Amino acid sequence: MNILKTTFINIKSNKQLFFASVGTITIALSILGLFLFVYINLNSVLSFWNEQVQLIVYLDDEISQGEKKRLEKLFSSESEVDSFDFISREKAWENFQSMFSEKSSFLKGMGFNPLPASYNLRVKASPKRLETIQALAEKLNQQAGVESVEYGEEWINRFEAFMILMQVFLFALGALLCLGAILIISNTVKLSVLSRKNEIELMLLTGATPGFIKFPFFLEGVFHGVLGALISLSLMKGLHLYLVSRFQGSIETFGRGMDFQFISPSFVMIIIFSSILVGWLGSYYSLQQFLGTYKKL
Amino acid sequence: MIQLYNVYKSYNNTPALVDVSFIIKKGAFVFITGPSGAGKSTLLKLLYRWERYDKGQVLVNGINVGKLKFNKLWQLRRHIGVVFQDYKLLPEKTILENVAFALEIVGADKKTIRYKAWEALKNVGLSHRKDAYPLELSGGEQQRVAIARALVNDPKILLADEPTGNLDPEMASEILSLFEKANAEGTTVVLATHSENILREGNHAVITLRRGKIADTRIVA
Repeated sequence: MNILKTTFINIKSNKQLFFASVGTITIALSILGLFLFVYINLNSVLSFWNEQVQLIVYLDDEISQGEKKRLEKLFSSESEVDSFDFISREKAWENFQSMFSEKSSFLKGMGFNPLPASYNLRVKASPKRLETIQALAEKLNQQAGVESVEYGEEWINRFEAFMILMQVFLFALGALLCLGAILIISNTVKLSVLSRKNEIELMLLTGATPGFIKFPFFLEGVFHGVLGALISLSLMKGLHLYLVSRFQGSIETFGRGMDFQFISPSFVMIIIFSSILVGWLGSYYSLQQFLGTYKKL
Repeated sequence: MIQLYNVYKSYNNTPALVDVSFIIKKGAFVFITGPSGAGKSTLLKLLYRWERYDKGQVLVNGINVGKLKFNKLWQLRRHIGVVFQDYKLLPEKTILENVAFALEIVGADKKTIRYKAWEALKNVGLSHRKDAYPLELSGGEQQRVAIARALVNDPKILLADEPTGNLDPEMASEILSLFEKANAEGTTVVLATHSENILREGNHAVITLRRGKIADTRIVA
């Protein structure tokens, strides 16, 4: 017998129930997807900012030329340093004034330049970039002529801690929603099995193999999961496209080259595979329960 | 073909079969009779392993039924056709589809299914009504469809549990003749009935059960 045909007959005879449970799974997966979407985009913001992090070495006002030479030599010898610029006190003051041009009357009235000279260091891209910067900062802080070193470590650390929290939250939410989906599918398949009780009994009597009996129901469970996953992924993609068309302009002012990220292909595969697994587990559970009553006879 | 040795079966400590032993040879036709609750249905259910027994041994077609695992039961049941008092036809399928269903289950190809299902219906005299649904047929006709379905896979053994219980005497003897026809073609038949008429009409071996025990046996030459 055509197994697919049997599966579709099963689904057709329980149409309303099938769509209700696919709908519920869609909603559950969409909730998960929404959080995943937020997480992925926050993560991309984090890595974008990570790349922007520069090491700013502020110099003592009384730094000697010799000390400056020695520092520059040190920067060049560090393999992790990509390039560096010297920003003199005057240049820094100029930059500052142009950034806050509206307040120029106040700034002009100050009469002196409060800003120190500095070196801006760009560190080569690597997965351990942040650790490199941290180590470098500590080393440079002890050099003669260096007043202080800054790289915005505190907020990066905080942001990273938040992302770890978000990861834990996502895992917990994902596990709970999967469990919920398994229960929903198992209930729907159970009703489908019960509505065909007579037919299954006949199959058992006539010598159908257990696989022959179970397979259409497994397939039905898997259809639930996959259909739910595909619909919710389409919804997510729709949302992504909407956000891109509506807000791409404003996000670019936030950081050049930034855009809205969609769930990566590997994550899409993971979602589809887990939905297959969830569907299979749901129908497995209810079939074992149902056939178990015949085993005990 | 069928061997029972000191079989004991109880439901919640109430004995249903006690120390039942007999041998049914290949090609035999045997009635199992006795009053309601004597254990006729239980005995048949043990033969196709719908239920387990507590003690003893049951061999069917060389298979030790008690040792068979659930997922291997099909190996036993493909040798056995079963007919019930309530026919157990699927109402949403035509009678041809009902018969074909048994062939689909054992994985026959489409051509074989079409040919054999029609042939089986012809043998019970219902090929002209192949597209009718079970509920459009009389009780006797429905039972003939059930017999066609039980025989379509050429089983070695045909078990029937009160197959004429819902039918008038005329229809009952028609059904009996179908079982006798199958038997004449080599199928071992075990038919449980409490109908005196059927017992009289078919001159076959009889095993009489009373409160789960064999009370009497009639052997025909």
